[in-house]
Amino acid sequence: MSARDDRMAPRAVPRRPGERRGLAGTFLGYATLIFFALVFLYPFVIQIANSLKTEPDAAADPLSPVPHPLTLDAYERVFLGTDLPLWLGNSLLVTVAVTVARVLLDSMAGYALARLRFRGRRAMFGAIVAVIAVPGVVLFIPKFLVLNQLGMYDSYAALILPVLADAAGVFIMKQFFESIPVSVEEAARIDGAGVLRTFWSVVLPMGRPALITLTIISFQGTWNEFPHSLVAVQSPGLFTLPRGLADLVSGSLGTGTQYPLKLGAAVLATIPVAVIFVVFQRYFVRGANEGSEKG
Amino acid sequence: MKNRGYLRTAALAVATCGTLLASAACGSGFDEGGAQGAAPQSSGPADLRILIGSSGEAETTAVNEAAAAWAEATGNKATVTPAQDLVQQLGQAFAGDNPPDVFYVDASRFPDYAGVGALEPYGDKISDPRDFYENLRTSFSRDGKLYCVPKDFSTLALIVNDDLWKKAGLKESDIPATWDELTSVAEKIKAEGMAPLVMGDTRDRVGAFMVQAGGWIASPDGKQATADSPENLKALEYVRTLLKDDLARYPKELDAGWGGEAFGKGKAVMAIEGNWIKGAMTADFPDVKYTAYELPAGPAGKGTLSFTTCWGVAAKSRHKEQAISFVEAMTKADQQMTFAKAFGVTPSRQSAKDAFVKAFPADAPFVDAAGYGRGAVNAPKMDSVLADFDGGLQQLESTAPAELLKRLQKNIQSALGN
Amino acid sequence: MDITVGRGRRLGRRTSATRENLAGWLFLAPVVAILGLFMLLPILMALWVSLTAWNGQGSPFTGRVPFVGLDNYTRLFTEDDLGRLNFVTSIRNNVYYVAIVVPAQTVLALGLALVVNRRMLKGRAFFRSAFFFPSVTSSVAISVVFLFMFANSGAVSGLLGVFGIRGPQWFSDARGVLHLLLSGLGLADLDAPPAALTGGGPLGLSWWEWLSGPSVAMCTIITLVVWTTSGTFMLMFLAALQDIPVTLEEASLIDGAGRWQRFRYVTLPMLKPTVFLVLTLGLISTWQVFDQVYVMSQGGPAKSTLTPAFLSYQTAFRDFDYGSGTAISFILFVIIVLLALLQRWVMRDRAAAPASSRRGARPGRS
Repeated sequence: MSARDDRMAPRAVPRRPGERRGLAGTFLGYATLIFFALVFLYPFVIQIANSLKTEPDAAADPLSPVPHPLTLDAYERVFLGTDLPLWLGNSLLVTVAVTVARVLLDSMAGYALARLRFRGRRAMFGAIVAVIAVPGVVLFIPKFLVLNQLGMYDSYAALILPVLADAAGVFIMKQFFESIPVSVEEAARIDGAGVLRTFWSVVLPMGRPALITLTIISFQGTWNEFPHSLVAVQSPGLFTLPRGLADLVSGSLGTGTQYPLKLGAAVLATIPVAVIFVVFQRYFVRGANEGSEKG
Repeated sequence: MKNRGYLRTAALAVATCGTLLASAACGSGFDEGGAQGAAPQSSGPADLRILIGSSGEAETTAVNEAAAAWAEATGNKATVTPAQDLVQQLGQAFAGDNPPDVFYVDASRFPDYAGVGALEPYGDKISDPRDFYENLRTSFSRDGKLYCVPKDFSTLALIVNDDLWKKAGLKESDIPATWDELTSVAEKIKAEGMAPLVMGDTRDRVGAFMVQAGGWIASPDGKQATADSPENLKALEYVRTLLKDDLARYPKELDAGWGGEAFGKGKAVMAIEGNWIKGAMTADFPDVKYTAYELPAGPAGKGTLSFTTCWGVAAKSRHKEQAISFVEAMTKADQQMTFAKAFGVTPSRQSAKDAFVKAFPADAPFVDAAGYGRGAVNAPKMDSVLADFDGGLQQLESTAPAELLKRLQKNIQSALGN
Repeated sequence: MDITVGRGRRLGRRTSATRENLAGWLFLAPVVAILGLFMLLPILMALWVSLTAWNGQGSPFTGRVPFVGLDNYTRLFTEDDLGRLNFVTSIRNNVYYVAIVVPAQTVLALGLALVVNRRMLKGRAFFRSAFFFPSVTSSVAISVVFLFMFANSGAVSGLLGVFGIRGPQWFSDARGVLHLLLSGLGLADLDAPPAALTGGGPLGLSWWEWLSGPSVAMCTIITLVVWTTSGTFMLMFLAALQDIPVTLEEASLIDGAGRWQRFRYVTLPMLKPTVFLVLTLGLISTWQVFDQVYVMSQGGPAKSTLTPAFLSYQTAFRDFDYGSGTAISFILFVIIVLLALLQRWVMRDRAAAPASSRRGARPGRS
């Protein structure tokens, strides 16, 4: 049918191919979009709605988006009955520290690899590319061993230090610095500015878009990081939010399924990233695509 | 990749830098502790770290109070931490060379810890060790040495929901004493449209039937595998029939995390659980009335499983003397009674039995079963073997019991190395 | 070395080169130190541990730890014991997992990208975000939500109930879906599987067990992962779609190509590099599934969601068998590297394909 339409269509008007569909096509397109939007978003609706329900209500009518009755009981218990405030604090501390350090260290390294001519540069770049290829999952036990051996196991240092730099971030920054013109830096250098000064007051300001992207990927990655905290710490006082949440789920609360409470904690773990997602959406999109470059 | 030379240089650079780091870092490990038992001891006031696998708020509070009292009396300090995942936390702490001084050790984990030298065998330094029930002491002994003393214990009993029992038209005299009676009351309950019995889907519940049939997984000394026996087969065949006819259900089928939850929610009329169910019932289902009875006897007579935990003291602790004094205080008969009142455990000292039964007459069935309860398999490296068996039990309805037992037998033998 | 006066003021070029050399290393030093200390060194340490029978007591780097050579590795393949059974089972589970997740997420991502890319539809930015949002949330938090949704009285069962279907008990059902399919077709009886298949099979699993398919419980994890990852891959497809020159599509229009033909002969070939990229990233990440298993099933029921990543964790930290645990993780490492290499080899003509290679460098793009 659409093939026949094609032949009828006036060829003189250069429209994009996607635009010549009938009403049916449009309807189908929207139907698909709405269906999948429901599939992708409704679980979050369920999550929020059920965290506001009583336990019997959540068990009886899990699908309903309307709590009946609406109660903040789960949140009250999350804050008063569990260590969640502590986990939130730890997560915040770790995430901020790691993000700041990553942005600084990764852009320094990326700049060095992109611009500075020093001996061993290509070798180091090769090494960093190789590091990107190491699957994180094989590092659980190794990381534990090294933290243990260094006497850092079960400390804030163990949570933070090992993830302070990431090779993928270095790669992104290197690509970025290579894409901006050299002329500005050269001007600065001719004016006698040292490498550090050039980097700090000329290069970094120019790198704003890439820095924001890196900040966002780092924040999101660190906030959600789970396995690292599993092998780095064991004291409940050092748990980050995902670790604490995982323990809540595996039943340290003792009896009962307590879904509203668990979902409430999950909501709290989701909110910061969700807010950042909404505000900085386009950087997320870039991050995803740049992540693909490293493959 | 552009050329190999550059990759090779990279590899070389990485290797060099790695070696440098390694030589710099490995030196700073903390090997000073040295061989087992050689941990330097410090006398005088200590800051004891105590890691417990708490059953809930009540237990944490009770242990905290007891620890504070001990610290007060002896001039030491004691920090009690409830573990989120005791096995994992202890495992990582042992590898970290910096374990807590005192910690709970489950009987099923005891052989593993003792086997690798993580536990200080202090049993004979506690006053009157023979006062602890003998089968509990056996659970924590290795090569004739009592490593740690039992904190408390429990056995499995048949828990019956009084109201639902009546609703099914049953009387107190209908409480099943044998397998046949169990089958027949279960059928009556099922006919009333209720789920008769809920029990956990692991050897820790199903195993009771094996004991009642006269079998068990391994010999008492833990040296021989005895899984592949006709008695065990009879037990599993029986449980399989119960499951197939929906006379018994696993908790997951009733949408519950464990038997007590399903029972408390009234999803089943009977449950096979230990006395820890009391705490859960009081906290979560205070309105449900229930009674505990001894488990029905099988072809070989009465049988149940007993569960126990001991106060382990780390071989690497720097304050062993103080740690043992702490355990002494925790296992005094009257302290055990305090714990019993706080969170419903059964004292492991026989001298506390009378006081306990007097205070908790409803718990008599749990204590009475102490004499014939079977403890955990006292052999190392059993955890994954038994977890595998549990996996089989979960699929008991669709698996041939003989196959399950054959597989268990083979796995135990290979783990025991015979 | 050249010692003529450089373009600068007082500094000779030699000093400038030395300074740049120094600066380069200084700038790189923190990252190199951290990666060396927490990536390279740990791997070397773990390699050593995988060659020993360290029992998790004290330090593994002393003379008292027994050296066992490659035993930890060979045992996983040759010794007829529980260790091998667990390992082989985890590999089987992961193979099924990969075989479903990778095609499913690729097709779904491509489909979504094609719909979102239709310029006539309004609100595409919203839908793009909606599809992408699950990808950025915490895997642990999402696992909690799915645990709730797939609970026996949960949302999914409720939804199926609307259509009159009685959902399975998702997290306690270890039956393989292939087995269920076979029995549904009347080809096999689950209680009495065909004797020809149960007799034996490679590596300690019978043919019947090999042919189980993913378990019902595993299907929940598969659903979760496809749901979370499709958004990211959709964005990659979307970027590639936008790189397709309009003229090319127009040319095909003029040739009178139908919609399907256009997709098949114009769009798809242009997307080939992205498809390969998505497949590789998918292959690499699906072999690493861990968080979801940890939170949702811990490998159960009946080991049917056990994966090598989780098994290595469990073997080391719960069974104290660090040697075997690290050996499993290195085997996993090799599997992933081999897949990546294989993929590189398949894609060796990618350089000839246009588009998308300089994409990331363009600032300000959304």
